[in-house]
Amino acid sequence: MNSVFSQMAVLGSSLTLIFGLILLWRRSVHAYVTAFLWQSLVLAGVVATVAYFHRDPELYFVAALLLLLKGLVIPRLLRRMEQRYGAERELQPYVNTATSLLISGLLVLFAYALARPLVALSQLPTRAGIPLALGLIFVSLFVIASRKKALTQVIGFLMLENGIALLAVLGTYGIPLVVEIGVFLDLLLGFIVMQIFIYRIRETFESSDVDQLGRLRH
Amino acid sequence: MSEWLVEVFQPFLALALAPGLVGFIRWVKARLQSRSGPPPWQPYRELRKLFRKEAVVSGNASWLFRFAPYVLFASTLAIAFLVPLLVVPRHFDMVGDLFVVVYLLLLGTFWLALAGLDVGSAFGGMGSSRAVTVAALSEPTIATAIFSLALGAGSTNLGAIVMATMSEPSTVLTPGHLLAFAALAIVTIAEAGRLPVDNPATHLELTMIHEAMILEYSGRYLALLQCGSWLKLFVFFSLLANLFFPWGVATTLTLGALAWAVVTLLLKLVLLAVALAVLETRVAKLRLFRVPELLSTSFLLALLAITSSFLLR
Repeated sequence: MNSVFSQMAVLGSSLTLIFGLILLWRRSVHAYVTAFLWQSLVLAGVVATVAYFHRDPELYFVAALLLLLKGLVIPRLLRRMEQRYGAERELQPYVNTATSLLISGLLVLFAYALARPLVALSQLPTRAGIPLALGLIFVSLFVIASRKKALTQVIGFLMLENGIALLAVLGTYGIPLVVEIGVFLDLLLGFIVMQIFIYRIRETFESSDVDQLGRLRH
Repeated sequence: MSEWLVEVFQPFLALALAPGLVGFIRWVKARLQSRSGPPPWQPYRELRKLFRKEAVVSGNASWLFRFAPYVLFASTLAIAFLVPLLVVPRHFDMVGDLFVVVYLLLLGTFWLALAGLDVGSAFGGMGSSRAVTVAALSEPTIATAIFSLALGAGSTNLGAIVMATMSEPSTVLTPGHLLAFAALAIVTIAEAGRLPVDNPATHLELTMIHEAMILEYSGRYLALLQCGSWLKLFVFFSLLANLFFPWGVATTLTLGALAWAVVTLLLKLVLLAVALAVLETRVAKLRLFRVPELLSTSFLLALLAITSSFLLR
C-alpha cells in the first residue's frame, strides 16, 4: 500500500519536473502553456493521490481548486494573451539552450544534495519526491532569470508556484485550507497584475522583451 | 552445451531480422503517408543486389576506405553477441558488459568517420564531422542511461540487469527507469540516424549525416555498411525492449520458453517500430544546430535518471 503510494508520488513529481524542463528546450510560448497545463494536471493528480492515501477530504478540495485555477482559468488567460500578441518565440535567451539544460541538471543535483538530510530524517512515504520538487523550484527560478520574454517569465513564475505547492503537499501533506485558498487568491491577483504589466510593456516597446526595460532609465 | 548454441545463434537471428525490421518501418511509414510503398522484405532484395554488384572505389581511396565497412559490420555484430535477446543468464556476460557495448559502438562510428574523410570529398568530410558531433554527445548518454539501470541491479552486465528487473517488476515504474528509457529512446533515434536527427530516406540533402559518409561506397562495401547500420537499429531496439521491459525473456532452456521469447521479442520490436514510424511521420527534421540541444536534453534526462536511482537505492 505504502510502496504504491510512494511510487505514485515520485512518479508524479518527476513528471512535474520534466514538464518544467520543457521550458528550457522548447521555444514557442504555445508549447510553454501546454507544458504548464500538463504540469498543473499532474500536480492536481499528486494532491488527489495524497488525499486518497492520507484520507484527507480537505486535500480533495485543494486538488479541485488547483484543477479549476491552474488547469482551466490561467491556461485560458495565457492562451488569450498569446493570441493577442501573436506567436512570440524565445529566440535569444541570456543563456543558450544546451548550457541552460546542463545548468538545470546541476541545479537538480544541488537540490538532491540539499534535500539529502531531509530525506534521510523523514519517515513519510512521499519523501523521495521532495528533492524533485526542490529541483523544480530551482529550475523555474533559473527560467525566470535567464529568459527575456515577459510571458516566459510569467510561466516560469507559475511553475515556481507549482513547485512550492508540490513541496508543501509532499513534505507536510498540505497546508491548512484557509492558507491554501489565500495562496490561490494571491496567485490569481499576481497573475492579473503581471498581465497588465505585460500589456504596458507591449504598449511602450511593441515587444515583451524585458531587455528593453533598460531603456527606461533615460 | 545447448546454452552456448542458443547464445551463438542469437546474433545471427538479429542479423536475419534486422533488414526486415527496417523494411517494416518503411512499410508502416508508407502506409501512414497513404503510399503503397515497397514490401517489408525489400531490404533483403537490396542487400542481394548490392552483394552481386561490382564495387567501384575512388582512385584516391586508401586501405582505410576498404577496411572501414568490415570494422563497422564486425563491431556491430559483436554488440549483437552481448545484448540479451532471448535467454538470461548469459555466458557472454563474461566477455563484456555495457562499457564494452558503448566502446564497440564508438569504434564503428570512429571508423566510419575516418572512411568519410579518407576520400577527401566535401560531403564525406561534412558527414564525418557531424557524425562525430552527434556521437560525442550520444555515447555518454547511452553509458549513463544504462548505468542508472546497472546501479539498481548491482551489476554492469546486461544479462544481470535484465534478471534484476524481471525479479522485481515494480522497478519499471521508478523515475530512474522512466527517465533512462526516455534518454535512451532519444539516443536511439540519433545513433540510428532516424528523423528528426537525420533523414534515412534521402541522400540528396545538405544536412544529411550518415548518408554523407557512405556516399562514395558501392557494391559489397555499401551492402556491409547498410547491413551494419540496420543491425545497429535492431540492437538499440532490443536494448530498449529487453532492458526496460524484460517480460518474455526465457530463463530456462525449454522449447516453449524459447518460442515464447521469440514471440514476445517480435511483438516488442513491432511496437517500437510502429512508434518510430508514427514519430517519423509526425515530425520534421530538426535544424542541424538544434540537434546538440536535443542530445543535451537526453543527457540531462540520463543524468537525472542516474541521480534518482543512486539516491533512491
